[in-house]
Amino acid sequence: MSSTVLQEDRSSAMWEVTTRVIVYAAIGAALYGVLAFFSILIPGTANVSVRPAFAIVTFFGFAFGPIVGFFTGFVGNMIADQISGWGLLTSWNWSLANGLVGLLAGVFGVWLASSISNRLLRAAVASAAAIVIGFLFVFTDIWLGTADDASVALTANYLPVVVSNLIASVILTPILVAAWDPIQESMGR
Amino acid sequence: MNVAPRYLGRGSWLARRDPRVLLVSLALFVFTVVQVWDLRILLVLAAVAAVYYRSAAIPFEAVRVQWAYIGFFITFVVVVNTLITGGELRGYTEDELHVLFHLPLFGTPISAESLTYAIAQFLRFGSMAAVGLPIAYAIAPGDIGPAFARLGVPYKFAYAMELTFRFIPSLGADMQTTIDAQRLRGYEWEKRGRTPVGKLTRTVPLITPVTMNAIVGAEDTIDAMDLRGFGTQRRTWLRQLAYDAVDRAVLAGFVGLLVVVTYLSFTGRTDLWVPEVLISLAEG
Repeated sequence: MSSTVLQEDRSSAMWEVTTRVIVYAAIGAALYGVLAFFSILIPGTANVSVRPAFAIVTFFGFAFGPIVGFFTGFVGNMIADQISGWGLLTSWNWSLANGLVGLLAGVFGVWLASSISNRLLRAAVASAAAIVIGFLFVFTDIWLGTADDASVALTANYLPVVVSNLIASVILTPILVAAWDPIQESMGR
Repeated sequence: MNVAPRYLGRGSWLARRDPRVLLVSLALFVFTVVQVWDLRILLVLAAVAAVYYRSAAIPFEAVRVQWAYIGFFITFVVVVNTLITGGELRGYTEDELHVLFHLPLFGTPISAESLTYAIAQFLRFGSMAAVGLPIAYAIAPGDIGPAFARLGVPYKFAYAMELTFRFIPSLGADMQTTIDAQRLRGYEWEKRGRTPVGKLTRTVPLITPVTMNAIVGAEDTIDAMDLRGFGTQRRTWLRQLAYDAVDRAVLAGFVGLLVVVTYLSFTGRTDLWVPEVLISLAEG
């Protein structure tokens, strides 16, 4: 089978909604919600905290596809906000941004397969690109009134969240992929 | 480690409502509130939110930490916005601001307008949190899946929502077990590193095993669902949901609020309103 055909197979398979996708999505969202307990507020930002658990979003997107990634980020962030008391939908645009990052991590993971053969490096690159692009959605804070203007949205929201999540994901996602790959192989999945 | 939201509002007036009412009401309320900066309207919306929250009968002692967190977060948002913008406000030139005083050290001017804006932020986020909290505490855990399904979410994703809430307590317990196991090996997660990377690497011995265990453990759930034919045809739910007259009245109330506020917003009557007393304080 040629690499182009393989690529097309991967691209179409990543949008299938199977039982496995549903369960992994639920596990990912619950894990993100639970592990977000480890949050450290970044001094000098508007409501941005370092969540090492953010790597769960990029890992689930990369390892199990964009649908799982989107659900993990979107629902997981809502649950983390709800558990902390902030409210399920109070920062709905941030939940959507988290979801977009998970979705893009899955998409980039497949797209980059032909250009980056090292899976761990690919996980790091796909996560980084997904974070930089996905979190652009937090600029909707200007419309919602959480950020006074574009400079606040950039300096207090976008840059801190991107930097902190880049650090978390670029380090932790490859570690999780490295831990998962042998387990996946032994399970025959 | 108990991270699962508890059903604290059990038996309350709000908990007796169709669970869809709580979800739809929150969505309607959020889109209502984000249009408003006028303190007078925000006070009305805050009163509505307070009555709604009280109807869930959630004991304050049980959610004290959550309210403290909300208060801290809103304060943080307001302070940072004020500092970064240097006291400037959208829609106001520097000459139009009525400066009350300057912040010590920073020199940021605090005006009647920025103070009003800060109070508005408190009311906006406080109201949204008050309407949002009952979702965690006044919806029966078993009603989450059917509620989302009946709201039009594809049944597979509605089931994923229900599964998520079911997994939370067991994953919380797994995390506590992992913390205890790692502690026996000399690992103390409380001792975090000083730098962001240090803090991050301290969490690796927790996040990795908890995540891998969860994924491996999920295989049993996947097999069980496959064996029961999940996904082969449209799923039905044992729990039947139906709006009663009170549910419809509550929803109509929130729809009414949204319509009125949207009309006021389009006619320019939801912009920041500064109390005369603050302006006279600045001028006096």
